[in-house]
Amino acid sequence: MNEITVHLKVNGRPHTLRTAGRTTLADLLRDQLGLTGLHLGCEQGVCGACTVIVDGLPMRACLTLAGACEDSDVVTVEGLDGPDADRLRDAFSRHGALQCGFCTPGMLLSAHHLVRARQPLDREEVGVALSGNICRCTGYNGIVSAVREALEGGIAAESAAVTTRNHEE
Amino acid sequence: MSTERDVSVRRHGVGAAVPRREDRRHLAGQGCFIADVQLTGLCEVAFVRSQTAHGRIREISVPAEDREAVWTAQRLAPFAEPLTATSTLEGFRTAPLPNLAADKVRYVGEPVALAIAATRAEAEDVAGRVGVHLEPLPAVVDFDTALARDAPTVHDDWPDNIFATTSGEVGDVDAAAREAAVSVTREYTLHRQAVVPLETRGVIAHYNRSTGELVVWSSTQTPHMIRDMIALQLGMEARRVRVIAPDMGGGFGAKCSVYPEEITLAAIATQVDHPVRWVEDRWEAQVASTQARDHRHRITAYAAADGTLLGVEADILVNSGAYSVHPWTATMDATMASAMIPGPYRLPNYRFRTRSLASNKTPSGPYRGVARPAAAFSIERTIDELAHELAMEPYEMRIRNMVRSEDMPYVSAADKVYDSGDYPEAVRRATALVEHDTWRERQRALPASARRRIGIGYGSFTEQTAHGCIEWAARGLAVTIGTEGARLAMDATGSLSLSVGIKSHGQGSETTLAQVVSEVFDVDLDHVTVSHGDTAMTPRGDGTFASRTMVMAGGATHGAALALAEKVMRIGAVLLDEPVQDVVLRDHAVVGKKGSVTYAQLAKEFLFTPDHVPGVEAGLEVVHHYRPEVQTGAFTYATQAAVVEVDLDTGAVKLLDYAVVEDCGTVVNPRIVDGQILGGIAQGIGNALLEEIVHDADGQPKSTSFLDYLLPGASEVPQIKIEHMATPSPYTVFGVKGAGEGGAIPPPAAIANAIRDALREYGTEVNETPMTPERVWTALRTSRMAAEAEGRATLEAVR
Repeated sequence: MNEITVHLKVNGRPHTLRTAGRTTLADLLRDQLGLTGLHLGCEQGVCGACTVIVDGLPMRACLTLAGACEDSDVVTVEGLDGPDADRLRDAFSRHGALQCGFCTPGMLLSAHHLVRARQPLDREEVGVALSGNICRCTGYNGIVSAVREALEGGIAAESAAVTTRNHEE
Repeated sequence: MSTERDVSVRRHGVGAAVPRREDRRHLAGQGCFIADVQLTGLCEVAFVRSQTAHGRIREISVPAEDREAVWTAQRLAPFAEPLTATSTLEGFRTAPLPNLAADKVRYVGEPVALAIAATRAEAEDVAGRVGVHLEPLPAVVDFDTALARDAPTVHDDWPDNIFATTSGEVGDVDAAAREAAVSVTREYTLHRQAVVPLETRGVIAHYNRSTGELVVWSSTQTPHMIRDMIALQLGMEARRVRVIAPDMGGGFGAKCSVYPEEITLAAIATQVDHPVRWVEDRWEAQVASTQARDHRHRITAYAAADGTLLGVEADILVNSGAYSVHPWTATMDATMASAMIPGPYRLPNYRFRTRSLASNKTPSGPYRGVARPAAAFSIERTIDELAHELAMEPYEMRIRNMVRSEDMPYVSAADKVYDSGDYPEAVRRATALVEHDTWRERQRALPASARRRIGIGYGSFTEQTAHGCIEWAARGLAVTIGTEGARLAMDATGSLSLSVGIKSHGQGSETTLAQVVSEVFDVDLDHVTVSHGDTAMTPRGDGTFASRTMVMAGGATHGAALALAEKVMRIGAVLLDEPVQDVVLRDHAVVGKKGSVTYAQLAKEFLFTPDHVPGVEAGLEVVHHYRPEVQTGAFTYATQAAVVEVDLDTGAVKLLDYAVVEDCGTVVNPRIVDGQILGGIAQGIGNALLEEIVHDADGQPKSTSFLDYLLPGASEVPQIKIEHMATPSPYTVFGVKGAGEGGAIPPPAAIANAIRDALREYGTEVNETPMTPERVWTALRTSRMAAEAEGRATLEAVR
């Protein structure tokens, strides 16, 4: 079995890991780093439960080889924090955006990426933007509402911050 | 959204829209699902499964170096018996469900062997070296081949492919036929579906040699049932078997049968010196987890000129797959369909026949709604066709014929006892909620040349939930479900621990059952732990399925809480030196007329120094088992309204609006109930428009990945309007009715009726699910060609 060495940063911490060349990023994170927040729902790149952020972009950890992540910066649900993440988590709970919780970490990371873009979106646009994440429990109504609320909250917070800065200037 | 019941006086009790307690861990990525469990020495399992639908096993070859790692039927046989799911129904034929196939394979995906290695990847490498040499046999795939006179038989010693036939008649359907002004006959088909919890199944088994205890983790809705059956199939006393269901990524019925993988891994664990784990991959889940639907109904219905429904005749075929599964059996769907085709209607004359067929497909099991989506499709499509014949609005036909509040309790043509509610009122409210008249105006405003047509359709149902033993017995089950246990203990700090035999796997029972405790004790939910899914920690219970948990575990929890509260009040009365009738439970304390004592003070006094509380017997813990006095169930009902846009050029269907008016009795937590309804409707939309396990003529399933088995995504589910009626059931604690499945039942019917309405100009009907663009387009084309041919014939006749 050909082994490789991968250097990557996960949730801000640098790691050097030996693994089989065929190991996916998902298996590396789950089995070698114990980061089991990402879930494997299909291993075909469709359901989105394994979504993590690699160098600022949402990626399917199930279809990404660990060896392709050399020098990458990876964020998993365990490392997802900050005001946008707080707003999302709070809105997810209030809007019934999760039930069994299996799709939730991937959904949160995709939603976080969307929220960070600060682009106002209507319900239909949010739905299309989240079409790469399958939820079998909630019927999506709560997810779409939660993401829109967090998106609007993020935009409002940013314009408030800009206003404050302008005042200070 | 409204509920008609007064909001509970308890802040966190029944009716409170408290946030779910489960959310925090899942939002942090700290859920612990079966694939996340870590155990020292854990090895992984990969199964070798049949790639052929029907064949005789000639040889299984294992390379010499892999013999230790590989298990076949022959090696497993001394340690586990196969399970036979039989039925008390007359003439029921059965066959054992092999743990690993020995002589024949009977469906693609049937386990034949397994390989164990340190990692899953290595286990798959070993499994890939196992050779399965088969003599292929002709496969039994669809209804017609299963019933053909010269059909091959799935089970060699059967004369045909029929598990069982049932039939019955109430009233006189032939007399109704003679009396009727109109009749319609239609055939409806709901094709086969996978169930698709997003987390697949998985099992870990570990035999502890020092204690002689076999611990099995399984992603199962029914841990106590799995424990019983593992013990029986392995020939062990059940005291030595502990089953733990960790966090689960949904179940929807796919995780509530006893599976060969559970028995096999448990047996192997007793023979090896390390724990073993198998996690189903997606292909396996699409072929080896129980599947659903696969119904064909032929319905004839009769009505009077004023729209009164006079009689219904139903011939029901269900393709149940290769084996009967425990405990549901292969006739579960057919018997439920025949029981629920009368639906929410006052139907005086009803005749049915069901046949449950064996085929070379994956065994069928429960899936949210169990046969009721098919029953509702049949009766609701038929009601619409009768309405069209009589030039009535279909919703008026429903209102005219439904069971009214003054009829309750109403015994249906299928001998079901509808307990409460106002079925016609749900229809009236649904027409208002969806704004029926506004959509009719928009419909009329469309130009004749419009390539996209709008349609409105309704689907109504009534659903038996939380039924007791007699109901399961009537359907022939060998295990008659209907009892649920709860244990509630107050500890020395005055906090409360509840243990229940059900398994919450997305329903939020850690929240709702704590609300029941809080309803009695008036405590913040943070002071109540709810344990579930571990047979060593919980009193016996049947599990979470059949929309039963809130009624049954809620009833058990309430019984335990009342008994414990009675004792806590007596202790409080002694400590306060007040008569017990003067004390109440309020805000974490026993409150008397003169003073109060907190639960924390009281529990410490009673448990540390019982001599301070003379006259009260020992113990601050109660076990209560609940079995409803009336076992015919609490009937949840609803009317759903769908508005669709149908593209005449492509056959594509888009949902423009969706509304539901439902009555699940007293609502324990409005957020959670709405979540169940929304999620159910989304699955119903999948059933209606997207999801199908397609087989080729050889029985090879062709839609086994998410690339070709389409699930509803965020853009396929519209924003759904919900209104509650909340008529308490007279038969349950708090008047609760089950809410888990109802959402999923009528969407295929409502959407099909909406498509029919959109295409009424052409008389197009789509009477099979999923209603894919291809099926809609083909049905439209067929009806237009028929209309044109008719037009030509008329022209000829005129000439």
